Amino acid sequence: MKEVTMELTNVHKKIGKKEIIKGVNFSINKGEVFGFIGPNGAGKTTTIRMMVGLMNITEGDIKILGNSIKSNFHQAIKEVGAIVENPEMYAFMTGRQNLNHYARMNQDVTKDRVEEVIQLVGLEKAINEKVGKYSLGMRQRLGIAQALLHKPSILILDEPTNGLDPAGIREIRKYIRSLAENDGVSVIISSHLLSEIELMCDRIGVIQHGEIVKIQSLHESDEDAAGIVVSFEVDQAEQAKQLLMNELEADVQVRDHFVSVMLEKEKIPSVNKLLVDSNISVYQIQTTKETLEDQFFDLMGANTIE
Amino acid sequence: MSKFFKQTYNEQFKIYIKKSTWVMYILIAALIIGLAFIELTYGEGDQSSAGDDWRTELEQQNEQLIEDNEQAAEDEGQNEFIIEMNNDQLAENTYRLENDAPPRGYSALDFVNDNAFLSSLISLLTIIIAAGIVSNEFKWGTIKLLLIRPISRAKILLSKYVAVLLFALYTLIFVWFLSLITGMIFFGFEGFDSTIVTARASGYEEVTLFTEALKTYGYSLVNLVMMATFAFMISTIFRQSSLAIGLAIFLMLSGNMIVGFFAEQSWAKYILFANTNLQQFETGNMLLEGLTLPFSLTVLLVYYLVFVTLAWLFFTKRDVAGQ
Repeated sequence: MKEVTMELTNVHKKIGKKEIIKGVNFSINKGEVFGFIGPNGAGKTTTIRMMVGLMNITEGDIKILGNSIKSNFHQAIKEVGAIVENPEMYAFMTGRQNLNHYARMNQDVTKDRVEEVIQLVGLEKAINEKVGKYSLGMRQRLGIAQALLHKPSILILDEPTNGLDPAGIREIRKYIRSLAENDGVSVIISSHLLSEIELMCDRIGVIQHGEIVKIQSLHESDEDAAGIVVSFEVDQAEQAKQLLMNELEADVQVRDHFVSVMLEKEKIPSVNKLLVDSNISVYQIQTTKETLEDQFFDLMGANTIE
Repeated sequence: MSKFFKQTYNEQFKIYIKKSTWVMYILIAALIIGLAFIELTYGEGDQSSAGDDWRTELEQQNEQLIEDNEQAAEDEGQNEFIIEMNNDQLAENTYRLENDAPPRGYSALDFVNDNAFLSSLISLLTIIIAAGIVSNEFKWGTIKLLLIRPISRAKILLSKYVAVLLFALYTLIFVWFLSLITGMIFFGFEGFDSTIVTARASGYEEVTLFTEALKTYGYSLVNLVMMATFAFMISTIFRQSSLAIGLAIFLMLSGNMIVGFFAEQSWAKYILFANTNLQQFETGNMLLEGLTLPFSLTVLLVYYLVFVTLAWLFFTKRDVAGQ
């Protein structure tokens, strides 16, 4: 049984008469990076705000290492590091003053730890400058630094790649993976851009209109089971199509010299053999998988904000 | 406890790291030194000449004052103010003559005492700080990072409130000491036991200047704390510093007028500003009839509790949502 870091059970949020979150359930395991995806206005930020106690939970509960954020705020929040929306810091203070400020709000954050975190996010050079002069990328790093000060068990990052250049995104991705794999930190990353966080997540949950519509693991083993689209480049496309339709009873599509069919990976050699045995020359075999992005858009349909 | 102490330190750090705070202090310093120059140049010269013949001088002055008053009374027009002022001076002089209390030269403590009116400036600055300390966190968006720490919201609010009161205290001490030092440089120092003759409910009295100055500043603290708490509450509820500053300053300046306007009403004595000036019970110069010290203290306490409770309720219960 995997160790659960955070658990949401039947979480509802009503503002006025409008129900914004309609019974969200999911849990995040130790050392897992969980992508929280949804279009703008789907309830991502509201859910995150409830996770960190900024908003009251109308119904249901959120537990962090077994402690409810509602009834045991102190114990629960101690284990959380977060950036909610933009990493807003005190612009009139230097980066170090900002970190010291937050360090004083937690017990057992030493001076050494502050220095360690500064090095970790690579802000050594700019740390004594006023945050007002920082670029968005630097603020993002400082935001991550303040979230890590107290060595939390769970890191909640709301749109962490916002405003970062590709190099910065890659660095953050590497960093988050190492946190999860080496330090066993659970990470929740929200984004409306799936492609940006796809590479660093173990699982994703898709939220739409205040409901979780899909939770999917991104590990390869799961993809195999689902099946992939395999294209064969052949000399006699029509003939191949007939053959495959008869043999596999599957939907076969033809484009130029390519014959495409949904297959499990293990079946590729036997299908190839079938074609060759029927005197059809095979020049190449390609596998394409439907990207997560495609699935995501299929799921979302039009992006409508209620 | 140490966590709360650290958080109060944090809040003070955020006040004093800002340049605008230091600009305020520089302005106060410039004002005090400027006042000293004005006093030195235009101050009442006769007060410094308290020789052996002070009795004859005061008697002469009294005769002159009585003459002036008779003349003023004969003239048609608005002379009541002048007559009243002359009568005050007359009463003080008479007290001095009767009780053998010679007038004394203007010294550092007089300057400190005269600068007691600066307490309204301290109130103003404290209101500005109180109005921003909660609402700015919302404006900057930093409230989100502030409230996700293992410190309860109530403690964060309290640490901010304590930081405001400490700011007022430091500023008061700053005004006191700078006035004293400037006064010493400009006017000399006659020791802490020099006295002043001042009005009391029972008539004129000779009191130590030092305690008198302390009292004047002390009484002004009541108004300061009430208005700062009011600004703090508005700032917490509406998350807007400009509204809090505007309302608090408006009420501070028009408080007495509001009381005057409703003076005829039976509920006038329940207005906050009818009760903020506790010095009226000592001087006997009452704003409204029927006020007593215990009554005023009760009214102040009730207002105070309402302000603090409202701020606490709104800050601890409310969702921190997007802009």
